[in-house]
Amino acid sequence: MSRFLFLIPRLGRGVLTIWFAVTVTFLLLRLLPGDPALAIASPNMTEETRAILLKEYGLDQPLIVQYGIYLWQVVQGNLGVSFTQSIPVFDVLMQRLPWTLLLTGTALVTTVAVGIPLGVLAASHRGRFLDRLVQIIGVTGQSIFVPSIGVLFLFVFGLMLGWLPIGGAYDQDAYGLAWYGSVATHLALPALSLMLVQLGSYVLTMRSTLIDALREDYTLLAKANGLPYRRVLWRHALRNALLPTTTLIGLQLGFLVGGAVLTETVFAYPGIGRGIYEAVTQLDFPVLQGAFLALAITVVVANMITDTVYGFLDPRVKKA
Amino acid sequence: MRNTAAVAVEVTGSEPVAFENGRASLQTWRAFRREPLGMLALGILLLLVIAAVAAPLIAPYPPSYGDPVLASPNPQHWFGTDSLGRDVFGEVVWGSQQSILVAVAASAIAIVVGTVIAVIGAYFRRLDSFVSVLVDVTLSLPVLPLMILIAALVGPSTTTIILVVAAFSWPEVTRLVRSQALIVVQLPYVDAARLMTTSPLWIIARHIVPAVTPVIVVSVVVTASRAVLSAAGLAFLGLGDPNAWSWGRILYEAQQSGAMSSAWWLTLFPSIAILMLVLAATLLSVAYNDARNPRSRRR
Repeated sequence: MSRFLFLIPRLGRGVLTIWFAVTVTFLLLRLLPGDPALAIASPNMTEETRAILLKEYGLDQPLIVQYGIYLWQVVQGNLGVSFTQSIPVFDVLMQRLPWTLLLTGTALVTTVAVGIPLGVLAASHRGRFLDRLVQIIGVTGQSIFVPSIGVLFLFVFGLMLGWLPIGGAYDQDAYGLAWYGSVATHLALPALSLMLVQLGSYVLTMRSTLIDALREDYTLLAKANGLPYRRVLWRHALRNALLPTTTLIGLQLGFLVGGAVLTETVFAYPGIGRGIYEAVTQLDFPVLQGAFLALAITVVVANMITDTVYGFLDPRVKKA
Repeated sequence: MRNTAAVAVEVTGSEPVAFENGRASLQTWRAFRREPLGMLALGILLLLVIAAVAAPLIAPYPPSYGDPVLASPNPQHWFGTDSLGRDVFGEVVWGSQQSILVAVAASAIAIVVGTVIAVIGAYFRRLDSFVSVLVDVTLSLPVLPLMILIAALVGPSTTTIILVVAAFSWPEVTRLVRSQALIVVQLPYVDAARLMTTSPLWIIARHIVPAVTPVIVVSVVVTASRAVLSAAGLAFLGLGDPNAWSWGRILYEAQQSGAMSSAWWLTLFPSIAILMLVLAATLLSVAYNDARNPRSRRR
């Protein structure tokens, strides 16, 4: 149990982040020019119908009261009803969130799984051709605009070669195992695009921290003790070099979600990022608030997971 | 770190002031000139800036429609034409104006705001925990969706895009500058400065900001290249300035017209432009960092 005690202050910060996201969204929606009343009530309505409608959605109350009611409902898990679809926001989000989690999760896991070995490869070939090559791939990947690489993949693998589907998340007419297969093939291109633009930061961070770790006294000692180079590299140096990489995951999460919005647009993927974009154009405020809340919770939970991993990698954290 | 401290004791006139002296920047330049990738990056950036400034001389502003629709690249239209027959070369050249303007303006605002917040937080230690929580929380928000939201509500225009991108770029600057500023404020010369003046404003402006300038230079480049990508992202979603060409808008219109998958030139050329700008900026900052650091200089 005490292994997890260090998480308590982080939990507090997580709640703070979620509250901040909820409040920022609420204030932005109410204080910026777009009027939610216009979205649900058309100016052609009579004054009475309009008043009834506004009252029904609680939009006739003063701002601070609306805010209080909204916070209270969020705490209770009530996210309201979509303006445009007239179904609970929770249901709207539940249709979308799993796809985004699948996409970003796959992208993140493959990025880390490919990025760490590539970083190790570069660091252990420091200054040689392989190192240069990995660095060039990393820096170039970081500079690519997500839709550019997405369209390129779509063009090459979807249209020219015809290997993979070019849009959507699954086949409508597939059942059972075939359905899971179609989910995987639809996921491949968006996840690959998202992975490539993320990869650079991980590879470059891994490379530079590992190079530093290989210069430390304890790796020298391990080598002097006659341990084979591979063991020193993978067991001694890598373990410490993993720490900044773990921190990087937390810092990149916001960026990952942003990339997911663009990727979902290119591939017509039915995720929450695409949902936000549609809700904005329709001024569907409850869905927007709910979507930001969902994304904020996702980011916070993912951060907590990386913090936990960090705690296991670095025993000092638990004492602090 | 030793570098900062050594620079700090350099004396000008009556009062010790932290600054990058002329000799140091000349050495940086000499080292920089020997980095082929850095010089190449500088060249590409200059080329793009010239293209942006001299756009009216290079290509006529794309008219609202033209004759050969979706023509592939040919001697008349180097980059082909789009679904309304407009010259893609002209769009890319004029788009460089918008992209560079947004990058420069947004990162300038973000740098000023981010540095001021970082330095004030570092100097007045009681504010620092507040600053660090604010930065952490803002950095963990899903930024692009928030930008989409604001741009859609306020209405897309160049000013909106600049302000929105700046509003979400400053925490990254603060994070970088803060870590350096926290070290600088503990150096003895800052204590010495406190003995000579009671104005924190003077100490911050004259002694702390110059000492964190190298970090600022690097973060200008990082922020500007991220700003290019954010602005392109907004434009790609249809939230760019409808009255000005930008690289993101070319991609957006290509997707809207459904020609994105058949007319490869519509996406290839603006994509290359974005890649060149961002890549050149990144390589420039790497080369500058190497050149500035005496330990990594090749002799």
